[in-house]
Amino acid sequence: MTTKDTIRTFIVSELAGEEGTEIKDSDQLIDAGIIDSMGIIALLGFLETEFAIQIDSDELLPENLGTVQAISDLVDRKLRA
Amino acid sequence: MYFQYTPEQKDLIGSIADFARKELNEDIEMRDHEGQFSRSGWEKCAEMQLMALPFPEEFGGCGLDFLTTVITLEALAMGCRDGGLVHAIATQLLCGIQILHFGSEDQKKQFLPGICSGGIIAAQAITEPDSGSDAMAMKTRARRVNGEWELNGSKTFITNAPIADLAIIFAVTDDQRPALGRVSAFLVEMDLEGVSRSRPLGKLGLRTLQNGEINMKDCKVPGTSILGNEGQGALIFNESMEWERSLLPAVQIGALDRIIKTCVDYAKERKAFGQSIGQFQAVSHPIAQMKVDLELGRLALYRAAGMKGAGKRATMEASVAKLFITETFKKACLDAVQILGGYGYSTEYGLERDLRDSVAGTIYSGTSEMQRNIIAKMLGL
Repeated sequence: MTTKDTIRTFIVSELAGEEGTEIKDSDQLIDAGIIDSMGIIALLGFLETEFAIQIDSDELLPENLGTVQAISDLVDRKLRA
Repeated sequence: MYFQYTPEQKDLIGSIADFARKELNEDIEMRDHEGQFSRSGWEKCAEMQLMALPFPEEFGGCGLDFLTTVITLEALAMGCRDGGLVHAIATQLLCGIQILHFGSEDQKKQFLPGICSGGIIAAQAITEPDSGSDAMAMKTRARRVNGEWELNGSKTFITNAPIADLAIIFAVTDDQRPALGRVSAFLVEMDLEGVSRSRPLGKLGLRTLQNGEINMKDCKVPGTSILGNEGQGALIFNESMEWERSLLPAVQIGALDRIIKTCVDYAKERKAFGQSIGQFQAVSHPIAQMKVDLELGRLALYRAAGMKGAGKRATMEASVAKLFITETFKKACLDAVQILGGYGYSTEYGLERDLRDSVAGTIYSGTSEMQRNIIAKMLGL
C-alpha cells in the first residue's frame, strides 16, 4: 500500500465518520467536512506511529496537513530524510 | 514501568516546597478575599528561577527537561497555598514554551530572557466572549496594513491579562483560506496603542490569579509579530494545549499531596467517641481514595510530560491526565472539607479555598467534556 493509500484508508475508516466516504487527493479535509479539527490531532498521532516519524513544530503547517496529497508528500519527505 | 526521581529532582522537590511554605503563603487569606495578585511572591519565584526552568541557558533559562519542570511545579504547589500565583507561573512557562518552539530567533532573543527573569509577564489569549471550546470560531481579525498587522477584537477570561506585558493573541488572518490556515498567532506587547484591558474579573476561586479581557481596536503590530507562520495558529493552538495539559495538572497534584497531609494529620488528632476519627472507615476511606487518585494522577501526568519532553505526541496521554487529575482533585477537595467538618468549611485550614480553586480545573484548558471528546476521537469513535 502506498503512503497515500495508507493515509486515506485511516481517514476513511477512523475519522470520516461515514463509511464509503470518497476522498480525492486535493480535497481540503476540514473544509470538505471529512474531518474536524480534532481529527487533525488524531491524524498526527497516527502518522507518527504508523510511519515512525516525528513531525516537528516547523512542519506543523496548514500546507503540509490540509489534503491527502500534502500529508503524503510530508510523510514521504520525512521518510526519505 | 519503574519510575523514581533522580537525585536532582529529589533535591528540587524538597527545596522548592520548603521555599514555597516559608515565602509564599503570607496574607493568603486577605489576598484571596481581595482578589490580589502577589507581586512579591512573583518576584521571589523569579529569583528562584522558577520561570526559567525549561528554557535554554542562552536565553537565561535553567535548561531543565520538561518532566523535571513539571515535578518542580508540583513541588511549588505542595508548599504554596496561593493557587493563583502557581497558575500565573505555569502560564508564564507555557507562553515561553510556545515562543521557544514556534518563535523566530529574533523573537526568542527579544522575549525569552524577560520571561525567564519574570521581568516580562506573559499571557495567552484565545478565548473570546462568544467562543470558548469552539476556539477557532473566534471573531478577532488581523489584516495587513502597509507591512504591519492591524488587530481588532476582544479576548476574555485571559490569565495574567490585567498584569501582562506581552500576550500571544490568536486572530483570523484570512477568511478565504482553508479552515486549517485561517488563524495566526501574534506576539503583542500590551503597551501598544489600541490595546486596552479590563480590571481583573471576579471569580469563584483562584481569586489571586488575574484574569481579564484584552480589547484591540485598530491595534498595529509589526509585520514580524507573527509567531510561527501566517496561518499556523490552529496548529500552534493544538500543540500548546498538549503542553498545557501536560503541565498545568501538576498544580493539582501538588495541592492534593498537601491536602492529604492535612487530612491525615487532622484525622489522627481529632477525637470522637473515644478514638481518633481516622479509626472510622467513613473518614479513612475517602483519604485512602485521595492517595490512590494522587498516585494514579501523578503517573499519568509524568507519562504525558515525559513523552512531550522526548518530542513525542501525547494528545491522548495529556487529555487522560488532565481529565483524571482535575476531576479527582475536585472530589478530593470536597471530601477534605467534609472530613474536617466545620474546620473544613471555615477558612482556618484553607480547604474551602482549595475547593473553590478546584472548580476551574475542569473548565480551563479544555473542559472535561472536551477531554472526553478528544479521548474518544483518539479511540476512533
